[in-house]
Amino acid sequence: MDVAAHPVEEHAAHDHIHPAPEGFIAKYVFSLDHKVIAMQYFVLGLLLMLIAGSFAELMRVQLWNPAGTFVQYQTFNQLFTMHGTVMVWLVLIPLVTGSLGNMVMPLQIGARDVAFPWLNMLSFWLIPVAALTLFASLLFPTGAPAAGWTEYPPISIQEGTGTVFYTLAIIIVGISSTLTGLNFLVTIFKMRAPGMTWTRMPLFTWATFATALINLFATVALSAALLALFLATAFNVPFFDPARGGSPVLYQHMFWFYSHPAVYIFILPAFGVISDVLPTFARKTIFGYKMIAFSSLAIAILGFTVWAHHMFPSGIAPWLQIPFMILTYIIGIPTGIKIFSWMATVWGGRIHFSTSMMYALAFIGTFSFGGITGVYLACVPVDLHEHGSYFVVAHFHYVVAGGAVTAFFAGFYYWFPKATGRLLSEKMGHLSFWLFMIGLTGTFMPMHWLGLEGMPRRYASYEVFAKAFPDAVFWNRVETASSFLMVLSVLFVAINIVVSLRSGRRAGNNPWGARTLEWMISSPAPYYNFKKIPIVLDKPYDFTQPLPYRNLDDPNQDPYPKPIEAVIPRRAPVAT
Amino acid sequence: MAQATPSTPQIVPVKGMGPGFIPVTIVMTIINVAVALAVCYLPLDFLLPSESNPASDSAVSIDWLFKFMTVFGVAITVYVSGYVAYFAWVFRRRPDEDINTVGVPIHDAPKLEFWWTVLPTILLIILMALTIVAWKQIQFPTTAAALTTEVVAHQFYFEFRYPGMQGAVYSPKGEMHLPEGKPVKILVSSGEGDVIHQFWVPEFRLKIAAVPGMVTQLNLTPTRLGRYDITCSEYCGKNHSIMQAKLVVDTPADFDKWLAQARVTAAASGPAISLSGGVADTGKALFAQKCSACHSVAGGFDTKIVGPGLLHITDDPAHPKLVDGKAPTPEDIEEILVKGYVGPIGAMPNRQANGLSDADIANLVAYLVSLK
Amino acid sequence: MAVAATPGTAAYLDRIAVEERFRDVDPVYAETRDIRMFGFVLFLLADCILFSSFVFAYLYLRTSAPVWPPIVDGHQIERLDVAFGAMNSIVLFGSGVTMHFALESWKHLNKLAFNMWLVLTILLGAGFLGGQAHEYLSAPMNYTSSVFGASFFTLTGLHGFHVFCGVVFLTVLGIQANRGVYTGSKYFGLIAGTLYWHFVDVIWVALFFLFYLW
Repeated sequence: MDVAAHPVEEHAAHDHIHPAPEGFIAKYVFSLDHKVIAMQYFVLGLLLMLIAGSFAELMRVQLWNPAGTFVQYQTFNQLFTMHGTVMVWLVLIPLVTGSLGNMVMPLQIGARDVAFPWLNMLSFWLIPVAALTLFASLLFPTGAPAAGWTEYPPISIQEGTGTVFYTLAIIIVGISSTLTGLNFLVTIFKMRAPGMTWTRMPLFTWATFATALINLFATVALSAALLALFLATAFNVPFFDPARGGSPVLYQHMFWFYSHPAVYIFILPAFGVISDVLPTFARKTIFGYKMIAFSSLAIAILGFTVWAHHMFPSGIAPWLQIPFMILTYIIGIPTGIKIFSWMATVWGGRIHFSTSMMYALAFIGTFSFGGITGVYLACVPVDLHEHGSYFVVAHFHYVVAGGAVTAFFAGFYYWFPKATGRLLSEKMGHLSFWLFMIGLTGTFMPMHWLGLEGMPRRYASYEVFAKAFPDAVFWNRVETASSFLMVLSVLFVAINIVVSLRSGRRAGNNPWGARTLEWMISSPAPYYNFKKIPIVLDKPYDFTQPLPYRNLDDPNQDPYPKPIEAVIPRRAPVAT
Repeated sequence: MAQATPSTPQIVPVKGMGPGFIPVTIVMTIINVAVALAVCYLPLDFLLPSESNPASDSAVSIDWLFKFMTVFGVAITVYVSGYVAYFAWVFRRRPDEDINTVGVPIHDAPKLEFWWTVLPTILLIILMALTIVAWKQIQFPTTAAALTTEVVAHQFYFEFRYPGMQGAVYSPKGEMHLPEGKPVKILVSSGEGDVIHQFWVPEFRLKIAAVPGMVTQLNLTPTRLGRYDITCSEYCGKNHSIMQAKLVVDTPADFDKWLAQARVTAAASGPAISLSGGVADTGKALFAQKCSACHSVAGGFDTKIVGPGLLHITDDPAHPKLVDGKAPTPEDIEEILVKGYVGPIGAMPNRQANGLSDADIANLVAYLVSLK
Repeated sequence: MAVAATPGTAAYLDRIAVEERFRDVDPVYAETRDIRMFGFVLFLLADCILFSSFVFAYLYLRTSAPVWPPIVDGHQIERLDVAFGAMNSIVLFGSGVTMHFALESWKHLNKLAFNMWLVLTILLGAGFLGGQAHEYLSAPMNYTSSVFGASFFTLTGLHGFHVFCGVVFLTVLGIQANRGVYTGSKYFGLIAGTLYWHFVDVIWVALFFLFYLW
């Protein structure tokens, strides 16, 4: 047996630099670089967001009149199913964990890439495959899946073809998401720069870490639920058929065991973004670093224990309702700690009203509002009234659009210069911000009282309800009109990106004067991120002290952040 | 990029909580108190249907909880958004400021953190206690139901049944009637081979899913006369959005009149099933397939699986005498098979739920009668 | 080295550097191995959740069933043949033991013994799959008639798929080992293969208990 002599290398593995790939395919298509993969996720996510958003707009047009005749009932059912499915699995997960996580996390911990770059590439390419699988259902006469994004059996089994495509597509997303989670966990555990202890990690990385835990463990459970549904639909396996001993409620347990933590897959990175953006633009260290970091972890873990609060009126035993309600209330406590800590971070700062900061400030309000309506829904008796109504729609859109998407935009405006080396137009940024916020409020706020008054969700026509509550027509029209503002806002973002890439101002290393590691290297970040792996000496976010890093490759590295004035738009409230 | 000379960070100190903190707090508190008073004392009919004149007993306790949460929910929202907006504005960077001004480097305030963890926790514990009390009232009513009705949800209509061992009313696609002021139990199920639906009456503030293979229940006392919408709130297929029915709450006298009338109509319209053609052997096979999961034929009444054992059912001393103290006749068995059973022994789905044709029923009766 | 150094201080960083330099293995390999091992363990944990989900489904259905095994067409399904299942289990657990010896032989640089044990492991794994095939053909139920059949075929099918992947995995490892991919100090692939194979064994313990003994 041959035992090769150990090749002795002077430097450690992390100092090993491979050359950048050559050629278009290796560089931009099947790239192994986490930054390119992040941008791929972003482009795909934004594209699918516009598609899924247009589904929502078609629904809103249908609801302009109580007896809408714009589309047929079944088409409407397909629209809301596809809207939910695409938004949750093909937009939010790629955008929030895929795009932001990939772009920022390795840079923040001082790594050259994620632990398994090849796996990372696979994770990305599974998403377009899943999207094509889902849209392939349109080639069949029955068309797209039409059983709601939750696909409860037996209705999903009744729908047949659509469900088969849905389950296959989402199992693929599940595999992608699991691999991403695994990849990120290993990266964060094993590849932090020397000196980057757990309590020196930036909070976005902490949030990504908590998210990766959920990605890894919960997503597999989702794959199992969908595999069972696939078997039940395609091969008549009786898991969910009561006539043969199965139970439709079982699916709901299996589905929500994942899908409740899934909500945290979107919202935890959002928390991380806010925790990074606020200190930078408040010029002030984050308040309660440890509490924010550990509450992310607490939320991730508690998130696994609350799934049945989606099922209070679904025929679960009454005694099960109370423990799930209590656990759900408990989640409110770490969430509250975060919100109060952010408020305290804003207090006493020197606030720069950049677009990113505007989104971050708005997030605190919209998200805490969405969180509070969540407490209503967790309260069993009140949920018996509100479940399945527009109140639920309002709640989760406030959390998802007002929370995850708003924070995503905060992060997007914040890290775009690092990704591309160009600054976005702040003027257009503020415009898109106000459009988004007005649109968000106009679209989702009236849904609260519509739902309370008794408007059930997933109705293509609300004639009967409009008779009982005549104002419904007015409020639905307000919602429809407002929803177009949000589309306009996203279009402005797209235009802003194109304009910036063509003629945006150069960003420089650190346009915001931030104090986390990703800003200490040039923009866009070079292929291997750090020529020498930096050494971390202290906590991030300290704006009064010299930089807490050593060994950075840039010889012109400033001991202090560059002045922030370069990027403040002329007409912004604080402009000079 | 041109590089300005880095200057030493300049901390801008803050006096107290900052300028205008107390007036802002007072304004927000006044708003919150005003909202709280409005929520507690004004009719909230614009938010919750018939809040000022509740239609069921559970609506009262649910609305009370709703108001409690709204008072605190609005307060938290106003304080959080208000302070964020106020802090952001009052601590904004002034145009004439030095390049490198930074905020107050506070990263901890243990006392403050302690209180903002403890206060919400206390609030949530109070809410928990209140919820559990209300939940117990709604889920486990203390008064026995004066009337038990049954709702069977189908794609895409509700079917209402008024079962009872001695004459049931079957009112497909009709209106549901309930007597005012009487505690009722509504058993909700889904038809044979059907999907999940939900039975929701917004004015009652209650809903429950109709799950295939399960019987769920709602307990309530209607407290106001009127006509209400019943709507399906769980997506159930193509025509989900037109799956509605009417619920009429009558005075007890009117209700009895309606029920008597409905009974007459039902008796007149329902053609009796001819039992003469039943084949015991076919019935035996069918029994094995449809009934044997719950009923044993190895022993008498006490040999329970889910339902009672059915050996020598027509001559079983342990079996409750169903009609007039006599042993069940083939017609009594037929009636249970057709209408299902809900009562002290348990619950059995009706023929629609079990998917039994006329011939099936005849065969089953023949088989059961043949058991000695 | 024994001096406790505060993280972030120069002494601490020096210590890290010293530790790096004096690692007894190639540092590039050591780091890669660490990362891969951690990733692989996480993968196995995630896989565990996949099985747990179906086990949860099985427990849920089983505890809510009025009688177990369920009644199909008037007949209660027979219980599975414990004797045959036990024999098949012994085949699988035996393969776990042989795999252990295979890895040990590799560590002791005994390539002949390694090859022998590995081939034995692969054969036993294949034998288990054959046993499962027999079990499927002679099972007293099918996968559509009752939840018992559904759970049994789904869970053991999933497990069988894992065993099949394992057999392929081990075969590839054997080929690679004989081509000189692994050395006496670098054999992460073999460790991963062994871990995976033990994982498959452990899952079977649970399944055997759930379907045969309980």
